[in-house]
Parts: sequence; C-alpha cells; structure tokens
Amino acid sequence: MAPVLDRSAVLDDQGLRGRPFVDAYTALVDHWLVALFDELYDDPTGVALLATGGHGRGELAPQSDLDLLLLHDGSIDLERAERFWYPMWDSKMKVGHSTRTIAETLGLASDDLATATSLLSIRHLAGDAQLVERLRDAAEGQWRKQSKRGLAQLAETVDLRHQTTGEVAAALEPDLKEGRGGLRDVHALAWILAAVPELDIIAPSSLAAEYNTLLDARVELHRVTGRSGDVLQLHDQDEVAARLGIENADVLMTDVASAARRIAWASDEAWFTVREHLNSSGVFKRSPRRRELGGGIETVGERVELGEGVAVDELSILRVAVAAAQQRARIGRRTLEALASAPPLPEPWPTEARELFVDLLEAGTPAIGVIETLDLNDMWLPLVPEWEPNRSRPQRNAYHRFTVDRHSWECVALAANLTGTVARPDLLVMGALLHDIGKGYPGQHSLVGMDLGAAVMRRMGFPEADVDTIRLMIEHHLLLPDVATRRDLDDPATILMVAARVETTDRLRLLAALAEADSIATGPSAWSPWKAGLLAKLAERVAFVTDGGDVGGVITDSPATTAQLELVERGATGDRPAIDAHDDRLTIVCADRPGLFSRIAGVLALNGLDVLEASAHTSGSLAIEEFRVVSAFGNEIPWSKVEQDLERALLGRIALEPRLAERARSYQRRRNTGRGLEPNVRVLEHEASDGATVVEVVGPDSVGLLYGLTRALADLDLDILRAKIATMGSDVVDSFYVRDRSGAAITDEADGAEIRTALLHVLKRSRA
Amino acid sequence: MKLVTAIIKPFKLDDVKTALKAINVVGLTVTEVQGFGRQGGHTETYRGAEYKIDFVPKVRLEAVIADADVDAVVDTIVNSARTDKIGDGKVWVTSVDQITRIRTGERDNDAI
Repeated sequence: MAPVLDRSAVLDDQGLRGRPFVDAYTALVDHWLVALFDELYDDPTGVALLATGGHGRGELAPQSDLDLLLLHDGSIDLERAERFWYPMWDSKMKVGHSTRTIAETLGLASDDLATATSLLSIRHLAGDAQLVERLRDAAEGQWRKQSKRGLAQLAETVDLRHQTTGEVAAALEPDLKEGRGGLRDVHALAWILAAVPELDIIAPSSLAAEYNTLLDARVELHRVTGRSGDVLQLHDQDEVAARLGIENADVLMTDVASAARRIAWASDEAWFTVREHLNSSGVFKRSPRRRELGGGIETVGERVELGEGVAVDELSILRVAVAAAQQRARIGRRTLEALASAPPLPEPWPTEARELFVDLLEAGTPAIGVIETLDLNDMWLPLVPEWEPNRSRPQRNAYHRFTVDRHSWECVALAANLTGTVARPDLLVMGALLHDIGKGYPGQHSLVGMDLGAAVMRRMGFPEADVDTIRLMIEHHLLLPDVATRRDLDDPATILMVAARVETTDRLRLLAALAEADSIATGPSAWSPWKAGLLAKLAERVAFVTDGGDVGGVITDSPATTAQLELVERGATGDRPAIDAHDDRLTIVCADRPGLFSRIAGVLALNGLDVLEASAHTSGSLAIEEFRVVSAFGNEIPWSKVEQDLERALLGRIALEPRLAERARSYQRRRNTGRGLEPNVRVLEHEASDGATVVEVVGPDSVGLLYGLTRALADLDLDILRAKIATMGSDVVDSFYVRDRSGAAITDEADGAEIRTALLHVLKRSRA
Repeated sequence: MKLVTAIIKPFKLDDVKTALKAINVVGLTVTEVQGFGRQGGHTETYRGAEYKIDFVPKVRLEAVIADADVDAVVDTIVNSARTDKIGDGKVWVTSVDQITRIRTGERDNDAI
C-alpha cells in the first residue's frame, strides 16, 4: 500500500494560522514524501530527496507547489526512479519535480537564476544526506563565486517584478508574494547575503514580524480561495481578516500595507547598497565622492550623511531630510541611526525649523521617498503627531490609488509643481499635506481635519492668519471639484456661492491648485481634461467676482450661432427632429414632449456613450436639447448610427427599456470594486437662481442609469433644465436642475420626498 | 449527438485509429497540437528547472457520433491510447446541437 496523504486535519484546523500552520503542513507533507521515498529505496546510497525554494524553507502554504529534487550520483536505475512521482500526481498535488546529479544541477544553476536561488534553501528530506551536503556546499560556493553576475541579474528581475506587480502597500488588490514589498523581496535579501555575506544590509531576520504578517494573510488566502495565486482580492479581504481574527478588512489591509512598506524600504536600501557594491568592486576600487553641503551635512556617493563628529541637534533631522530631497539622494544608514537620538523640537517651532519643513515639502517628488524614510524610522510622527491614524490607511475603492498617507505626500509633490500659481507656496504645500488629515478620525473628514490641521500649523509656529487659511483649505478642499462637476457654471448663484465661501482670490487660487494636485494624486479616474476645463472655468469666474467684479460681467449669454439658428429653423418647420452631432456634442431640436430627455439618454447609453453634461431649453413648443458625451470605450463616436436610433426612438419605435436591460447584462460588472459611495438623493432648493431645484443623485454607475433616473423625473412631471454627470471610479454623481410643469421650483417637502423615493428606487433596481 | 475530443500521444494515433475503425466509427478529424498538463510537460526523469513549463506535442482527435455510441467510443480510445505513463492524455464529450452534411443537406444522425 502506498502511503496516503490526508491534508484535511491540518487544512481545516482553524487554530493553525500563519507560521504554525506552514510548520505543521510542511511537516505533514514531508512525512508523506519520506514514506514514499523509503518505500522505493531500502538502500538509498547515491540517491536523496530534497526540497528546494519555498518548500526548502519549510513554508508550504495550502496551495503551494512542492518543489522537489531527486538528487543522485549517476549510479541509480532511472526507470525505477520514475515511479517515485506517480503517487504525487495521483494525489493531485502540484509538484515541481526533477531528477538530476550534482553536476547537472550546478550546470543548470549557473545558467538559470531561479534555479540558482532555489538551491540557496535546499533541505534534505530523505536518502543520502552526504549527497545533499555536497550539493549545498557546491551550490552556495558557486553563488558566491558568481555573485557579481548573479546579483546584477537578480537586480534586473527584481526591478521587472516590481514594475509588473505594483506595490503591495498601495495596491487595492496586492500580490502578497511577488509585489513590491512582498514576501519575495525578503527572500531576495537572503540571496544577497548568501552572495556577499559582508554587505551591510537589513537582514531578513529583522523583518520577521513584517514577513509573518504577509505569510499569515497568504495562508488564509489560499484556504479561502482553494486556488494557488497570491493576489489578495477585494472580495476575499473580509474573509481573510475574519479567519485571522482581525476586526475588519480595513485593519487587515493597514497591517499588510505597513508590513509591505517596511519590507519595500529595506529592499530599496539593500539594492541601493548592492549597486554601490557592484560599481565599486571593479579592478580600480575607488571610494565614493564626498561633497560638503554646509551645516555639517555632506553627500557621500549618492547618500546624504552627517559629517564625522557633527553633533546632532533638534534641527538635524529636517536639515538632513531637506538635503536628501534636494540632492535626490538617500539618507545614509549611519546617519539615520545618529538622528534617532536627535532632541525634539521646542513648541512652537523656531522659524528655521518651519522653513526647513516647507523646503522639504517644496522639493517635489524626491520628498516622497525621504518622508517615507523618516516615517519608517520613527522621525515623521514626532513632526506631525496628528498623522498617526492615517499611517498606511487603505481607502479600498477603485477611485483612490494610494493609502491616505501616501496620497497626501503625492499630493504635496504635485502641489510643489503648482507653486507658481499662488501667492503663498508654503501654504499650498502645507494645505496639500493636511487636506486629508481628518480621514483617520471619525466624522466628515474635511470638517474633522480643520482642528487637526490648525494644531499642526500652530505647533509649527505659523501666524494665526495662516492657520485660518489652512482651516479653510481643509474644509473646502472638495468645494471646487464638486461644484465644477456637479453644478451649472453658467448660473450666477453657483459663482456667488463659491465666491462667498472662498472670500479672497488668494484663497481661491490656493484651493484651485490644491484641487488639481489632489485629483491627480487620487487616481486616473479623478482627473480628466474635461474636469480640468470645468475647474479652470469655475476658478476664472469666481476670481472675477472676488476681484470685485459683478457676476453679470462674467456670465453672459453667448448669442446663438447661425448654425444653431438654422437648426432651430429646421426643427420648427420639418416634421422630423433636427439633429446636429459632431465631435462630442449632440444638439436636437424637436417638438417638446414629456420624457424627451430620457429617450435621448437611453439611445446614447445603447450606443456606449457616457453623458458628461446636458442642457434643455424650450422655445415656444420647441425643445432644444444639448448633450456633451464621451465614448465609454474611447472609440470614435458613431454619430450616423446614433442619429438613426434617435429618430426612431423619438417616434417611439425602439424598445429602450428591454434593450438597455440586455446591454446591462452583457456589461454586468459583477466585480466588487470595494466600498462605493452610499447611494443617496438630495433635493437642494437654494442652489440655483432661475427657479430651478437641484436634485443630486449619488450611487453605483450602471448601464442606462441616466435613462432610468430621467424617466422617473419625467413620470413626476418634472422638466430637466440641465444635467451634469461626474463619474468617480465605479460610482457616479448625477446632478439635475429641475422645475415642475408650471415652471416653479420644488418647494413642497412632500414633493421633494417623492422625488427621493422615485430616484432611490431606480438606484436600487439598477444595482440588483 | 456528441462530439468526442481526445488528446493523445502522437505515436498512439495509429492504434487508436485502427481500434475506432473496428467499432465502425466512420469519421475522424486529427490535428497536431501542443500543450501541458499536471506535470508541466516534463517527463518522470526531467532534468531541467522545476518551475518551468514545457509544451509537449500531442494529437487531438475529434469525432461526431450518435448518443448511443458514446461509451463504446470513449472506452475504445482510452484502451487503445493507454501506455500507463504520464502524458497519456484525456478524452471528453460535448453535446452537439446540429449536424449537416454539406453535399446532401442531410441532418443530424443521418449526417454522421
């Protein structure tokens, strides 16, 4: 009877997690392998079974491959050896198997990097132990001897791997093994030390806690999915957290991101050191070039260091950080250790400290890495203690690309490029740093953040007027983007509302620059030429008012063009609708009728077009509807087909509802893209000036949603004057300016409640 | 009607063809293909890198048959293609909605 592997006891034992699990599971599998080997070989002279790679490290996860080498001295019967593998295949285990001599193995390792590194963690399982020791010595010796070539190759594969898998700390769905900051980066540290033991890098053993955090998550991920693959997807994050006894997925992903950041930083440090080593280990050894930067700071090669014997004072950390950011250099390890004993800054900070801090933020992109280094070495929180709850805080949705802290630093770097647009560059970068500081605290983050930001500013010794400006920037950091994408910029009420909130042109410019930096730092779907254009238009109009101009002077009705007049003429006289479509604009003139807007919206959705904004006017019995659209797939817009469909739809000859439902099924986005915005409908009375009411709808985007919403509005006998659609990742914010049949605003509370009910129903239905 | 598809070792093609002929299978389509399975395309005494995946040349057979013949055809392919070694291949059966013989226009079972 062949020995049988029963994995269920260990796999199902929920008490076994992480390290204890892999220990128990590897032992179980190994026991079975040894039994198989022993059954085949009574006398194992000249043959041995050994585990390589992760199996060699004793870290088998539930879905890991078994990496096995049947090592022999050339004297064994290979046909007999063939029989060894069949029980493994029959047991459905995934096995990476090979049968080789020591010479064959070394030959392969010298050509193949992955084999060479997998031999650095071999483990004897059964058979001729001497054979295994000979291979171990030879493989490790060969790796050391060929270290220069091996490390250069390894550096390249590490870079390539990081590029393809992305950062574990930043990714919505991180690759725990191969991502930047993942388990593989810790293995690579061990391989570096195996090649050049004297190299001064952070040893894998000092990253044990971080490594185990990722290992814990990986084991449970394999258990949850039952598949190999190490990408921790959104829909598995809750269950992995629960199995690990972690209170929720947010906490799990914060732990994962924190661990990955530290590993990534150690890995960066190590590879930087390796490259220094490779560059200096030629025939002509030269010591790195030194350059004095003043203030007891110097660059040594590409590192910034405190000079020998320079005393550490309370400004040292900031001085070194600014030098590193401005020189685009790393801070030396020795200097980091010395800075750990720097005395704290007095409160409020002296002027020089404040200026250094602002210099650091204004250094742009290089400041991100420097601040990350400070944070990972416990030197950032003492500068900004209120930062703590934002550390590695995940945002877990498709809209945001980074954790809260990293997002803020990216925002600072982008803002540093925009300092030319504002009167106070220092306040711009401080606002960029602090705009989301409330995110780690309960409550509405822009409101909660005001006091937190003010505390930071006061500690740094900024005057009270500047503290006020920062409070305003934090409170209103979403004002311009929200208004630009959701409100009618041709309505004087919109411009006056924003002007009243920002008060001065200087503050307006600060908010505009912050909005741009914030949007770009958020992610690709938060910034587009369309949004940039809207923001610029809004800022320009508000500035006209805050500069003392009259709002009437900046919003003027542009006279109708001859083309428009001609279209109206055609619409009035012909029996068919007059349609003009070019670029991204569609204009339709036809007899007014209820539900016109929703029919047009339905046709556009059927043709894969997303509406950006729309407006409707009536002229006598004529309706003039204008739409700005964008192709959902970035294609050329097939206007002639759209026009045909429109003509038929306006005659009521297209079954829009079922056709949209069918299209929705084809494009069903089943994928969970994380926490979306809470579906909501708000009826806002006082935001428009021309007797209209603003209805703002927030919810998950879906095919035909605009059709459904506008049809519901038509059923309530409401006229849509204007509409604006802002897409945010997988969510959408639709704003409608509506009036009732008599041309009046919605003032009755019961009517408002009815609108909410109708639109929430549409949202709910489209989500199901 | 069923479509029987089999992936087999190329050197077993003649044996399988003869065996199918003997049970009156009247039509067969053969394609040269390559692929890998659970062993990653490696032999039992593979000497290369454990993690590598190699494609192995194989032959794919396809035959459209009547429902009643499914078991006989599958058993015949399995018995004639078997070497008891890894890489012997797989056989699977899928349902066929409609068959038309192009020359005559005969349909379904008549067209087999």
